Amino acid sequence: MRSASDERTRPAPALSAAAGGVGGTSRLRPVIAIAVVVAVLALWPSVAPNAYMLSAGVVVLNYAVLATGWNIMGGFTGYISLGHVAFFGLGSYGTGLLVIHTGMNWLLATLVSALAVAVITVPIGFAALRVRGSSFVIVTIALVLVLQLIFQSWSVVTGGSGGLVVPRPFPDMLRPEHHETFFYIFLALLAVTLLVWTVIDRSRFGASLKGVREDEDKAESLGAPTGKLKLIAFVISAFFVAVAGGFYALWFADLDPLFQFRIILSSWIVLMALLGGVRYLFGPLLGAIVVGSALEYFVLEHGDTQFHLVATGLLLGLVVLFLPDGVLTGVAQLFRRFRPEATSIREVSAEDLRRQQEEQEAPQQPTTSKEASDDRG
Amino acid sequence: MTAADPTTGVVLRTDKLTKSFGGVRAVDEATTEFYQGRINGLIGPNGSGKTTFFNCVTGMIRPDSGTVTMHGKNVTRWAPHRIARAGLGRSFQLCRVFPRMTVLENMLVAVQPRSLGEYLANSRNSESVDKARRMLARVGIDHLENSEARDISYGQQKLLELGSTLMTDPPFVMLDEPAGGVNPSLIERIAVLVRELNEEGTTFLIVEHNMELIMSLCDHIVVFDRGRQIAAGTPDAVQADPKVLEAYLGV
Repeated sequence: MRSASDERTRPAPALSAAAGGVGGTSRLRPVIAIAVVVAVLALWPSVAPNAYMLSAGVVVLNYAVLATGWNIMGGFTGYISLGHVAFFGLGSYGTGLLVIHTGMNWLLATLVSALAVAVITVPIGFAALRVRGSSFVIVTIALVLVLQLIFQSWSVVTGGSGGLVVPRPFPDMLRPEHHETFFYIFLALLAVTLLVWTVIDRSRFGASLKGVREDEDKAESLGAPTGKLKLIAFVISAFFVAVAGGFYALWFADLDPLFQFRIILSSWIVLMALLGGVRYLFGPLLGAIVVGSALEYFVLEHGDTQFHLVATGLLLGLVVLFLPDGVLTGVAQLFRRFRPEATSIREVSAEDLRRQQEEQEAPQQPTTSKEASDDRG
Repeated sequence: MTAADPTTGVVLRTDKLTKSFGGVRAVDEATTEFYQGRINGLIGPNGSGKTTFFNCVTGMIRPDSGTVTMHGKNVTRWAPHRIARAGLGRSFQLCRVFPRMTVLENMLVAVQPRSLGEYLANSRNSESVDKARRMLARVGIDHLENSEARDISYGQQKLLELGSTLMTDPPFVMLDEPAGGVNPSLIERIAVLVRELNEEGTTFLIVEHNMELIMSLCDHIVVFDRGRQIAAGTPDAVQADPKVLEAYLGV
């Protein structure tokens, strides 16, 4: 009898495992999603029509890493930092100077420089995170402006406005090959950043950080050491942005304080994250692709005017007005509209409630056996 | 339920606790005691410094001078999270939940991880989720676990706040106006819950304006006026105290 029904019922367990895999497989779901997205992005070098489009791809991936890295701080804690470009600049100069002066391996130089930035971020974060809201934003802007001035004036070390030429890590490569190599390097970095975001998102650490975003005092009163947690998120976030800065230095090979510490890059990062949706794993990536492509397009078509800067402002205005929670949140809300109402206004007295709970517990046996029989049939 | 007997353990003692805002002494050398295993009440007319007192004890405001001793430890000027982890759960006067997180997620933030490993563990591990669901069932909003906290009614938010406060089984719970802005059937439910938890050993300190509730619920009541204690004792003793009548009626 069992073998007879075997044939017929075989698809059922497989289906339920795929659909109801809330327990075991859900842990892997974001990892699979990241793998799929990265695999799709990895196709770009083979479809890009020319070297310029390939380099544009590198720029967009760089933005994607910056925005996703920013989102480790901004998305979880709600602290909007306009200072992350400072870590980008520090990471790039650190890597450049290490490669020039010590001849260190490029990857090691990037990691050492990013770790140094993470260490520097601790006192910066300790001071900046004492204030909330718009005060925090202003402190982070000040950080960028101060660093820009320092790197411009300290020309003995940084080359000042004359620029710092970083030796290429792969001198034998032709330009398109060089772009392609760095495209994959940035893609790998993006994958790691997305993974770290996911791990935090699912952890208790992430839950506490989201508590900070929603209501910091409440999170604190529930026993979350919010000061420490915010600082850790800030440092992790700065680390990934600094790694992106290091790779950028090696790819672009020419650093100028005016560009490495430009505040507008910070606002682009925030724009990308907000546009995509800071609550979603792929929100900042989506924002980076949209805004990054738009920026490249505007520079290409209207680069001789200042319209590309105006366009950024317009885009930011549109996002704030119509999609304050990002594109992905908008889409999710649209879907939710077609689903039944999730909440009910049930307010019952203590006795009613107890009676209901007892009733629920009592007939549990028959219900489960009924479900089981349904399953079999 | 015996009459308040000061010989039982003191869960919270403040000694000459003072906090000024500009020229106003919101809490003025308040020396009080609240007792272990009881439902303690704190009442007083508007502006008598109850909430400031509350905030000084929970660490949200740093007192200017004086000491706070909780569970025998001097916790004066500790950060709120440290006080919370020392065994104090609190609710806020204006109900505070995490609005854009689901009800279940709200509960899971209340888990207090102690090590790096615990911090990195999945917040939805079955142990925490089971505990959260049990607590949600206890306060009666388990059917809402997947709703965002901002979408549920004010009374339900109030219950959620209570539930998240109780998530870690704190031995001492301070409730700031648990009945404020809540309909009568819900007030009764909160009162039943408080009594049940008290029987299981949780100590309460309740700040409340609803006299009917506080007189029926509390074993020991402290009356505040102008930032300090003017009377303390059983509900009957406090109600008969001329100083209390004077403070409330202004005669």
